[in-house]
Amino acid sequence: MTHDDPRLEETAEELFEDAPCGYLTCGADGTILRVNRTFEHWTGHDRALLVGTRFRDLLAPAGRIYHETHYLPLLQMQGAVRAIALDIVRADGTRLAALINSVQQRDEAGQPRIVRTTIFDATDRRAYERELLRARRHQQEIAQLLERGLLSGQPPSSADLCVEVFYRAAHGGHEVGGDWHDAFWLDDEQTAGVVVGDVVGRGIEAAATMGQLRSAIRALASTGLAPGALLDALDGFAARHRVGRMTTVAYAQLDVTTGELLYACAGHPPPVLLTPGEPPRFLWDGRSVPLDSVALDAPRPQGATQIARGGTLLLYTDGLVERRAQSLDVGLEHLLDEAARHAGEAVAAMLTSVVRAMDDDHSDDLCLLAAHRIV
Amino acid sequence: MSALARNNVNVHGNPDGRPMMFAHGFGCDQNMWRYVWPAFEDDFRIVLFDHVGAGGSDARAFDRNRYSSLRGYADDVVEISRELDLSDTVFVGHSVSAMIGVLAATTQPERYGSLVLIGPSPRYIDDGEYLGGFSEEDIAGLLDSMDSNFLGWSSAMAPVIMGNEDRPELGEELTNSFCRSDPEIAKQFARVTFMSDNREDLAAVRTPSLVLQCSDDPIAPESVGRYVARCLPESRYVQLGATGHCPNLSAPQETIAAIRAFVDP
Repeated sequence: MTHDDPRLEETAEELFEDAPCGYLTCGADGTILRVNRTFEHWTGHDRALLVGTRFRDLLAPAGRIYHETHYLPLLQMQGAVRAIALDIVRADGTRLAALINSVQQRDEAGQPRIVRTTIFDATDRRAYERELLRARRHQQEIAQLLERGLLSGQPPSSADLCVEVFYRAAHGGHEVGGDWHDAFWLDDEQTAGVVVGDVVGRGIEAAATMGQLRSAIRALASTGLAPGALLDALDGFAARHRVGRMTTVAYAQLDVTTGELLYACAGHPPPVLLTPGEPPRFLWDGRSVPLDSVALDAPRPQGATQIARGGTLLLYTDGLVERRAQSLDVGLEHLLDEAARHAGEAVAAMLTSVVRAMDDDHSDDLCLLAAHRIV
Repeated sequence: MSALARNNVNVHGNPDGRPMMFAHGFGCDQNMWRYVWPAFEDDFRIVLFDHVGAGGSDARAFDRNRYSSLRGYADDVVEISRELDLSDTVFVGHSVSAMIGVLAATTQPERYGSLVLIGPSPRYIDDGEYLGGFSEEDIAGLLDSMDSNFLGWSSAMAPVIMGNEDRPELGEELTNSFCRSDPEIAKQFARVTFMSDNREDLAAVRTPSLVLQCSDDPIAPESVGRYVARCLPESRYVQLGATGHCPNLSAPQETIAAIRAFVDP
């Protein structure tokens, strides 16, 4: 290439006018001073009509809000903005999906003088983006439906039993969590089974896993298996069908007439037992490893105790007690203190008080279940 | 979680001075006040903060239920005021934060001595003879369009920004950092803001208030500013020469002068 290569003869004017993007120059107040030919073609607006009007008047009302609340402040604070999506209304009323970059020129005193803007036609990009967003939303809806299905249903209740639950997915709940709870009668309102569990991961796979484990537990419980044996059978299910590896579960069975309480925890934090007139305590028996984690050479143990009339069994997931940079023991101590402090409240209120007092940072799912033996 | 941490509260100025709290509106964060607050730092104790989801706030604290109305945001303001033990505060609220301030001042009037409302609107959607300036379709269009603007935010980058107080230049390199927000949170804030109706809350305000109205403000037009001033039992209405919705950025000197005239007569 030499300097008399005719291809180098394009003028600045040509570069500007027929650029592969729209060019717009505005004054600091948003008045259009100059546009290029590409912009005229894309919008159908004649430059004679554009010059002197305001850029913001080319935007649809929604865009005008965004322009005022985001685009202008960014421009003022940063001196430039990149890749803002705005719709420009064409002369024929249709919309041009545009991506906008702007840069502010300031004078010696630092006052904004003009704003130079490039406009890219983002029609195809925007369409693709919408497809992706729609697919993401759809997936979230499916996961939420699954989750609702898993967490729904009236918990068992009777003159002798009241079950209350609290559930909150992490981070405002955009994605389905990995915690679940369940409660069901094992027979004619004499014995109830209650469960709280925590699968590895979150989202749609976790929801599917929880669904299978939930059904498996209900099915196994209906055959009369006591908690320790039930968890052993659940291990077999998890291993054989490759579902729920490393899930932690707390399962308890309570007889509301006699107060007999049988329980077992697979890697799960210990339940709390509240007894009127006594300090709350953890139930440390019946502990074993998470589901399908190691080969067990002995049956999973189970604990047995009594739940007094007016007493409450509290199951929960580790989001309640685990904190970064804090030992688990501290969290457990704190839970016992708060359970004691709020033991006198109505069951549902007690749950919300305890959650608030434990003051987590919402970075983990939270699931609590209280089974109260009515006086 | 402490409100001071959750809302990225920054305190400047005269520790013995009367408190002056600045609340940003829909769109960006406490940086919106960068040209205004220094003018008051000698005489006032300056309190800046970010609403949950904006700026350096802890977005993990975002709770859909708490922030399903402006009350949740007002409760945050009251919590900040309580943690700093503020009283006789000059509350300067821009845009939707003007109404958030109204709600805070009616909840705990003893903490707020003056309200400065910049570009306020108690309702954005037209309702019979009340002209908020927007139709329901306009707001639906806004919410729809917010899907296309993520302003450089991504779930991958957010922890990088949050966890790097010792590398502030990281935040500056990232595009559009002053208006960065989790798009889901931003969208909910937009929905709550633009579908709010707090007209009835104005009459309960006992705090002396200043309405600063911009000329040619497409978000909070003059008729709305006058409506707010009329409904507030004790208010002053000042028309600024500044145009647009953000005089705190586009006309800081005029904004400063108007606030000063109100608090330092």
